[in-house]
Amino acid sequence: MNRNSWTFCDGNGRLDRAAPTITRRQAIVGAASLIAGGVWWAGAKSALAQGAFRSDGGDGPVLVTIFLRGGADGLNIVAPYQEDDYYRHRPSLAIPAPRSGKPETKRLTDLDGFFGLNPAFLPLFPDFAEGNLAFVHAIGSGDTTHSHFEAMSTMELGLLNQSDRVSGGWLARHLNSTPERQAPLRAVAFGGTMPDSLSGAHGAVAVNSLADYRLSDVEPEWRQSLERLYSRGDTEIAEAGRDTLRVLRILNSSDPRDYRPENGAKYPDSPLGKALKETAFLIKNGVGLEIACLDSTGWDSHITQGSVDGWLFELLSDLARSIAAFRTDLGGEMRRVVVTVQTEFGRRVAENSGLGTDHGAGGCMAVLGEAVSGGKIFGKWPGLVNDRLSGPGDLAVTTDYRSVFSEILQGHLQNQNADVVFPGQSHKPLGILG
Amino acid sequence: MKLSRREAIALAAAGAGAAALGGCNQAVSAAYNSAREPISPPNLGDSEPVSILNRFGFGPDSASVSRFKELGREQWIEEQLNPSEAIPAHLAARIGRLEIYHLGPWDLRDWKEDAVIAQMQQNAILRATYSPWQLQERMVDFWTNHFNIFTKKGLAVYRKPWDERNVIRRHALGKFPEMITASAKSTAMLLYLDQQNSTAAHPNENYARELLELHTLGVDGGYTQKDVMEVARCFTGWSEERGFLKKKGAFVFRPEIHDSGSKTVLGQRIPAGQGIEDGEAVIGIVALHPATANHITRKLCGYFLGDEHHSVQPQLAKVFIESAGDIKSVMRLILAEFPSGAGPVLKRPFDYVVSALRATDAATDAGGPIQSALSGMGQPLYLWPMPDGFPVETAAWTSSLLGRWNFASTLAKNGFGGTRADFERMRDGRTAVDGTAIVFRRPSDSDDLSGLAKAASRKDLAGQVALALASPEFQWR
Repeated sequence: MNRNSWTFCDGNGRLDRAAPTITRRQAIVGAASLIAGGVWWAGAKSALAQGAFRSDGGDGPVLVTIFLRGGADGLNIVAPYQEDDYYRHRPSLAIPAPRSGKPETKRLTDLDGFFGLNPAFLPLFPDFAEGNLAFVHAIGSGDTTHSHFEAMSTMELGLLNQSDRVSGGWLARHLNSTPERQAPLRAVAFGGTMPDSLSGAHGAVAVNSLADYRLSDVEPEWRQSLERLYSRGDTEIAEAGRDTLRVLRILNSSDPRDYRPENGAKYPDSPLGKALKETAFLIKNGVGLEIACLDSTGWDSHITQGSVDGWLFELLSDLARSIAAFRTDLGGEMRRVVVTVQTEFGRRVAENSGLGTDHGAGGCMAVLGEAVSGGKIFGKWPGLVNDRLSGPGDLAVTTDYRSVFSEILQGHLQNQNADVVFPGQSHKPLGILG
Repeated sequence: MKLSRREAIALAAAGAGAAALGGCNQAVSAAYNSAREPISPPNLGDSEPVSILNRFGFGPDSASVSRFKELGREQWIEEQLNPSEAIPAHLAARIGRLEIYHLGPWDLRDWKEDAVIAQMQQNAILRATYSPWQLQERMVDFWTNHFNIFTKKGLAVYRKPWDERNVIRRHALGKFPEMITASAKSTAMLLYLDQQNSTAAHPNENYARELLELHTLGVDGGYTQKDVMEVARCFTGWSEERGFLKKKGAFVFRPEIHDSGSKTVLGQRIPAGQGIEDGEAVIGIVALHPATANHITRKLCGYFLGDEHHSVQPQLAKVFIESAGDIKSVMRLILAEFPSGAGPVLKRPFDYVVSALRATDAATDAGGPIQSALSGMGQPLYLWPMPDGFPVETAAWTSSLLGRWNFASTLAKNGFGGTRADFERMRDGRTAVDGTAIVFRRPSDSDDLSGLAKAASRKDLAGQVALALASPEFQWR
């Protein structure tokens, strides 16, 4: 069986799913202007506990992006088990088909009769079954360099190709094009350096861990001196200093180390698990968080990639368990959250002699949330027959990754300036948000 | 790469903490202090050595400013371009005790990974802080990132000290083709980029791709995917020794897995029937290619002169080719160009930490506490997981400010174990000299610093130093 194309834009998805309610956060704006006016937030007085940042009835929409660095193997996340070529190209890496007689943890779980889900991803299968998780296959940018750095930066800048020029990251352009949404902490990236997607953003910070985000010198005088030093100047560093001080004020009023996940959620003790837990803390504490950028690294599987076990399996398992814990922990708040999982490119269809795969093209993306019209695999499937492959033997890219993000931008983040964020583009929505 | 960057950072921090130095260090510390000349007062009002040391070194300390004034600009530059082996006794005493630099990969296999990394970090910080050959140390930093190796990949950590000595340090101001050849035979690099198992039947493209994209031609250097695959074929068999009782981890060519068919790389035919010569031929084709000249000189401009477009770059590329990749000749021209074509350059955390130690003439063992602070700012040395090296862009580092502030405050309070600075001694009885003047080696009532001095006006000298180090001004070169 070979399926060349399909669309799932059927327009009659889940009727009971209301669009997330978008509220303007007057309370947040008020709090922010108080800070701007020079009101000092004493560390002992918990602004969070007082609900100072929280508007009534919850907060606005949130996008959580998880970037799998290194080029994750989409063909082994959502595998086209009905294609004989999948097994032909990957004698040692392919995952056994759903009806291969193997136990559930050693084979694919059927998704739609054509694709099957990697057993490491089983913690999220219920979300797919309930229609809250969608995959988009054969997705990517126009980048053909096979360079991690070019491909990542292309996506983070929101481009099709590097030859197009824009200033800053696409998430930064989103934030900067909606300046009316003032909030103490609109965007956070987990990591030691600011990712390209938030490059040039106002109101964004990068942190290794919220729990460590502390001034070691507790003298108020030292902090006030810093405020003075950074009160002037418009260099990137002066602005970053003001952002940093603002975030310190917020975090000083509540301690992320005291945060206890709800609903029995158990986060893996991994960097991704910890970052998602801290993201949940921020979302629940109503600081006006709109964007969270998380990374998972180590997906560059040139050697010993593994199949239903091994290190790619472990990475996928960590990813799925982390997201599942996050979704469980958020409970009702999940209504206003969309989680995306992307990578810079997929991997070569055929395995190499190191029992790994080299850099490819078409990848697989996941989108999770109650607003998602899930339970489906979106995109046009190009197939794995040799003459359908692109470049040196790659899954062809048939969907521009920006179609997904521009739909989320307009439908979920309620940004009416999509042409500023993705200039000159008119992306046809795939219908992922129903 | 099995570890994420954050795990790597966490591990580095833990390893650094565990490597806190023992009692014998106190003796070295005492030797350090007694061996030092009396501290001269800050060279106020003398901005040429300060600005050149900021750009081409890790910032001014008292000794380097004195040396600059003694020699004058021209001679100082020539001296920096031709570093000798001579280093101060206190530095020699410290780095002489770092065992990993006396051992090959085959000797290191019983070591704990984190202990190796801690010694490498210690070496880098000590040399950058105290070596009189400041330009050489900046070049080492540049090439360490250009040929980045994530030491938590496989067993790369045991091979990296050899790589650091024989690839990076040996050729830092040498000839680029020799450096590329050394790097291609570095088993740390080959292991990091999955080269050692690449076979004729199924060549692995990872090393071939990064050789072209990052090490030589640059991503826009005109090569194709086909070239990547041909280069991968050329390098099959470039591997490492594994034999029983052999020097495990040393470079070896394995003819039995080499693809000896003919290949074409960038339009040049490489004949069939060769062995290791195929890879050497590739190096011959790419090392002095015009695209390589552009790629390397563009990166050097960005690193030393700032982000903007540089009119001197085409001239640098010409010198690169005419001098057969002589890095010294290229650097001589960049130094001559400064300051006319230079924009602001943000210090990366490593630059920041070292320049702060130098500005305060601090005595440090560069041990666990300093290494942890550096990791916390997002730059754990030798632990960047991708082959492109730590970013240079300002935007990547804006979020490291909190770590810098905490570093400044702890350093000024002498709160790092193994590190001490004596500000009163630096002031040397000149009561008018405040913390801002000490840190910047300029009068604090100068046009560019008066605002800072006012904002940083605190009663205690240490507090003034802390604020000067934490200021926006000190974050830039």
